[in-house]
Amino acid sequence: MKPAAFEYECPQQLDAALALLNDANSRILAGGQSLVPMMNFRLATPSRLVDINKLPDLDYVRDAGDAVEIGALARHAQVYASNEVAQHFPIMKAAYEWIAHSAVRNRGTLCGNLCHADPASEMPAIMQVLEAQLTLSSASGARVVVATDFFKGSYETAIAADEMLTMLSISKPAPGTGWGFEEVAMRKGDYAWCTVAATLQLSSGKIASARVAVSGVDACATRLSDAESSLDGQAPDTELFANVAASAALAVDPADNVAVSADYRRDLVRTLMPRVLQAAVESAG
Amino acid sequence: MDKVAINLTVNGRNRQALVPPRMLLSDFIRHELELPGTHVGCEHGVCGSCNVLVDGKAVRSCLMFAVQTDGARIGTIEGMGADGSLHPIQEAFWEEHGLQCGFCTPGMLVAATELLAEKPDPSEEEIREAISGNLCRCTGYEFIIKAIRSAAQKLREGNGAAQTESA
Amino acid sequence: MASHLDSNVIPPSRQRETPRAGLTWIGQSMKRVEDPRILSGKGGYIDDVKVPGMAHAAMVSSPHAHARIVSIDTSKAEELPGVIGVYTGEDVATVVDPCPSFASPPVTQHAMAIDKVRHVGEVVAAVVAEDRYIAEDAAALIEVEWDVLPAMVDIEASLEAMGDGVLHPDDRESNKALDESFEFGPVSEDFDAADRIIKRRLRWNRSSAQAIETCGVISQWDAFKGGYTIHANTNFYNFIPFVIGGSLRVSPGEMRIIPVLTGGSFGSKVFIHKIIIMTSALSRLSGVPVKYIEDRLEHFTNSDSHGSDRLYDAELAINDDGTFKSLRFTVLDDYGAYLQFGVGTHGNAMAQVTGPYQIGSFGMRVIAVLTNKTQQGPYRGFGSEVTNWVMERMADAAAEELGRDPLELREQNMIQPDQFPYMIPTGNIYDSGNFQKVLGEAKSLFDLDAWRKKAADMRAEGRCVGIGVATCMERSVYGPTEWWSLNNKETPGFTLTSTPEGISARIDPSGKLFVTLHSPMVGNSPETVVTQILAERLTVAPEDVVINYSDSQSGFNGVGPQGSRFTAMVAGACVSAAIKLEERLKRFGAHMLQRRPEDMELRDGKVAVKGLKDQETSFADIALNSSFFRLSFPDGEEFDSGLETTAVYDHPLSTDPHEDREHLGIFYPIVGHICHIVAVEVDPGTGKVEMLDYAAVHDNGTIVNPRTLAGQVWGGTANGIGTTLSEQFNYDESGQFVNPNFAEFAMPTANEMPRNFKLGHVETPSPYTEYGIKGGGEGGRLGAPSALTSAVEDALQNYGVKISALPITPPVLRGLIREAEQAA
Repeated sequence: MKPAAFEYECPQQLDAALALLNDANSRILAGGQSLVPMMNFRLATPSRLVDINKLPDLDYVRDAGDAVEIGALARHAQVYASNEVAQHFPIMKAAYEWIAHSAVRNRGTLCGNLCHADPASEMPAIMQVLEAQLTLSSASGARVVVATDFFKGSYETAIAADEMLTMLSISKPAPGTGWGFEEVAMRKGDYAWCTVAATLQLSSGKIASARVAVSGVDACATRLSDAESSLDGQAPDTELFANVAASAALAVDPADNVAVSADYRRDLVRTLMPRVLQAAVESAG
Repeated sequence: MDKVAINLTVNGRNRQALVPPRMLLSDFIRHELELPGTHVGCEHGVCGSCNVLVDGKAVRSCLMFAVQTDGARIGTIEGMGADGSLHPIQEAFWEEHGLQCGFCTPGMLVAATELLAEKPDPSEEEIREAISGNLCRCTGYEFIIKAIRSAAQKLREGNGAAQTESA
Repeated sequence: MASHLDSNVIPPSRQRETPRAGLTWIGQSMKRVEDPRILSGKGGYIDDVKVPGMAHAAMVSSPHAHARIVSIDTSKAEELPGVIGVYTGEDVATVVDPCPSFASPPVTQHAMAIDKVRHVGEVVAAVVAEDRYIAEDAAALIEVEWDVLPAMVDIEASLEAMGDGVLHPDDRESNKALDESFEFGPVSEDFDAADRIIKRRLRWNRSSAQAIETCGVISQWDAFKGGYTIHANTNFYNFIPFVIGGSLRVSPGEMRIIPVLTGGSFGSKVFIHKIIIMTSALSRLSGVPVKYIEDRLEHFTNSDSHGSDRLYDAELAINDDGTFKSLRFTVLDDYGAYLQFGVGTHGNAMAQVTGPYQIGSFGMRVIAVLTNKTQQGPYRGFGSEVTNWVMERMADAAAEELGRDPLELREQNMIQPDQFPYMIPTGNIYDSGNFQKVLGEAKSLFDLDAWRKKAADMRAEGRCVGIGVATCMERSVYGPTEWWSLNNKETPGFTLTSTPEGISARIDPSGKLFVTLHSPMVGNSPETVVTQILAERLTVAPEDVVINYSDSQSGFNGVGPQGSRFTAMVAGACVSAAIKLEERLKRFGAHMLQRRPEDMELRDGKVAVKGLKDQETSFADIALNSSFFRLSFPDGEEFDSGLETTAVYDHPLSTDPHEDREHLGIFYPIVGHICHIVAVEVDPGTGKVEMLDYAAVHDNGTIVNPRTLAGQVWGGTANGIGTTLSEQFNYDESGQFVNPNFAEFAMPTANEMPRNFKLGHVETPSPYTEYGIKGGGEGGRLGAPSALTSAVEDALQNYGVKISALPITPPVLRGLIREAEQAA
């Protein structure tokens, strides 16, 4: 299990890195925690790697007033440990308990994780719930895409071949917003069989705004708009949550495979969603 | 593909090498630097046997290319002890039977080193979490956990003694 | 009353060192001798070995489960710079013959496939190149044209296969490799007379050991001598030359197999003969030394060590008062594409098939089925892990049908302490035991009464909490008849009856005791236990014992760590060696002190006059004088220079199988006993199982090193937990192995292990082995699956869920709960 040969570029400046992406066979090497295993299995054989690890000033997690900004080279471990995330996005911290293991988090980057868009990865769901803004940079400029528009399918995103996800900006939640997160995987740290993530903004005892996403279930992490609209404007209630979960379980479209049936994943949506919503109500205070 | 010159520090010693870009750091350490204490168990980043310290952080050496370590500081288990003596963490693994076949051991030692640098008095759950990215098929982990607890105590006592001396 | 066992006479004990209190080194948790070099990175595993001029091999593996090889185009690969040679199965067959097979009649297997592949991952071509990277580049350039054949994946469907679905049409007309029936005792009569027959269909699915180190070989063909020098991480280096010499077309003595420190085996590295043969062929063809280390994918898909994969239709005959009368079953075993060990895994299970219970007769029909999967090999338990689970499932089923407490029913049927040695219907004996004491210790360690109340309270709150108790046997010190005793009488195969273990020992002129072992270190603690036993027997300090390993040309008679045999067997060799050394030490020492040898005793590394405090001379002095000062001693060969000896210890207690297979003889008689008790909680909505509490009590006779034994028990239990809850090889309908990687084949991590794991020991020494030592390398995996299964079933009692297949992964368990919900 050895990777095929490739050309190696290690630009020192962002402009130089972006210029190198004009070649369609180039792949960005950030943390490498998903790409390198695929290369070792020769499931990925890029002809050129553009190693961005030496680019300056991209390894930040910073408070930008209304939002927290996370740079392309911020490692999972750094994000996990950051005060900004702990303070404003406890849902991310909760999710990180389920994401890989420390040596992988030391090296892997959150932005790289999003670009890889594994259907069973947790953060694509979380970013959609948080409606994170993704800055995609290329030699010709930059554009901002919201997370709900970024994930297109299994390992498919809105990013173009010559673009790089340089920054993630996550707006701080409105007051009265609670969160919930639940996951079932074979082992802690494995890719999820089902992740359910939600935020609920409560106002005068009613749900003012619900955001619910799942991953591990459909081709990519998905916001469940029907569930959200069933929750919006309602008073939180056990029966409501059970009904919403039951509908969501029917609405998702999981694949059937040898070890994990589609029915099982639907069951997980049905089981986990009420727990997540209840936790969101409780943490909304 | 052209080889690339790299210059790095391994276990405190400066090393220079010409490496093909695709050479995995694990292969570089084992076969080029001839430090076989780092083991390769899966080459897809799951088992953790190949963990080494890169600039103080535990990483999978099968998921890095050697070329990426230009300028880096690398630590392997060969660099833990000195002059034929074992490091207190290695000592604790010996005393508490924290290894059987020894194949996962380098990764466990690296995980323990990183953990204890950050948390000198970890709880059992913190130890479990810290080594949960390292597969062991021999021990059932119990004695590894015990060894890390014991190592923590050794290091705390050792540091205490060092502080007393310097004071 | 005449019995089918009357001809099976138990031989007298050959024990020389009796179990006793007051031992100095045996029983100590001594730090392992093996560890410092391993901890400092100097272990010396197979991939650490470099041979001058060594090249590297990479393989081309089949992507299909079953296909004819139409053509192989190696031309592009051959042109790649750095490639030394490219070889197909046909090339390899010019220098080696098919692999050895213990099956009789054999199922033909080539180390590298010719004409046809029979499982995903089977190798069809290899590249030898300057480095592994280039070798893999070249392997990727080899083009194979396939004619895909129907894949046989399901065990029952494969039995019915015809035409292209038959895997080995040249050897056999169907995929049934063997079909044998046995009756040990009056099975039919006992079933006819019983009040009830409990029936269950039970399925044990496939997984494997997956040691963290894969298998590897460096082989160097010597064209002048006509032999091979081979480094390999096999368990079995002193025996394997005799197994593979025929395949390699050299005599066993023309092979030099050099052992290495091995990164875990659990059975998976017992032979590894296929890759030794293949790598040796590549060296012979290329003319250079060749290294081949399986990568993880190859280890999953082509290393012949998949574990048991069985379907049982089991019946237990019982009386209404709860008495177990007879057990019988038909078992279909999915052996995969080949049958390297025949049905040895079922022979093994015959050692303890009736568990710790008094069951008068036993019957079995075993059908070995060939399918398009990697073939089976050993994995910790070697088949007995399955029959333990089947027996315990049947005990639970009987309790359920009788409305009895499962633990109390077990106790009713247990063999009593005064019944040993106890012969079970198959003819094997249980040498000794006290199952009641083990159970008592386990109950108290777990605080079973308190837990039962607590579990009831938790269930009353609506939680799915349950407790499982398993009382199982751990046979140890295997005899080789297990490999062939179930073979057809007309084709009995290689009817081997020896499993010796030897050491050589020498006290050098400096006084150090140098010991050479003839079996490798595979994660057990051979150097430590030998040091402790010899320190005990010869009164030397452990630091004065130095351990080395032979190779297959300098060594002899070692069968290695397998079948939980090594410690008990090497203890016998140590005692034999010590007796011989003691005799020489006393002879030389007595002469030096001008005494008679019979007046002397060994005392703290000295030869001393019995009863006299200062009349003594050290082993070092004796060794120095006996080595360098020949003229100080009388003429005569009894004073030949030096203090050295070799010693071989044979199996302490075995008999031949009955020629008509009325019984199988004594072949695995040194039995331990284990009791595991576990409390679990199941989340019915997700199927996740959490272990709330776990206690295990093992009786492995006299314990040499409590800490290393505990390590074996914990490790085995972790394996058993994986087997029960998370590990399964998944195949799709086309025979694709869908999870051959560590991300998806879910071995437990530290997070998945139970918290607060409690381990206890009872010591019932064997009357047959030295010091009463029993083996203890497999027990955890022999007990955990039964206890966990019972606990999960107990936790789901309100759903009425019955567990009849392992593993119970969360999707599987949730599926059973869903069915129960829908039925309700």
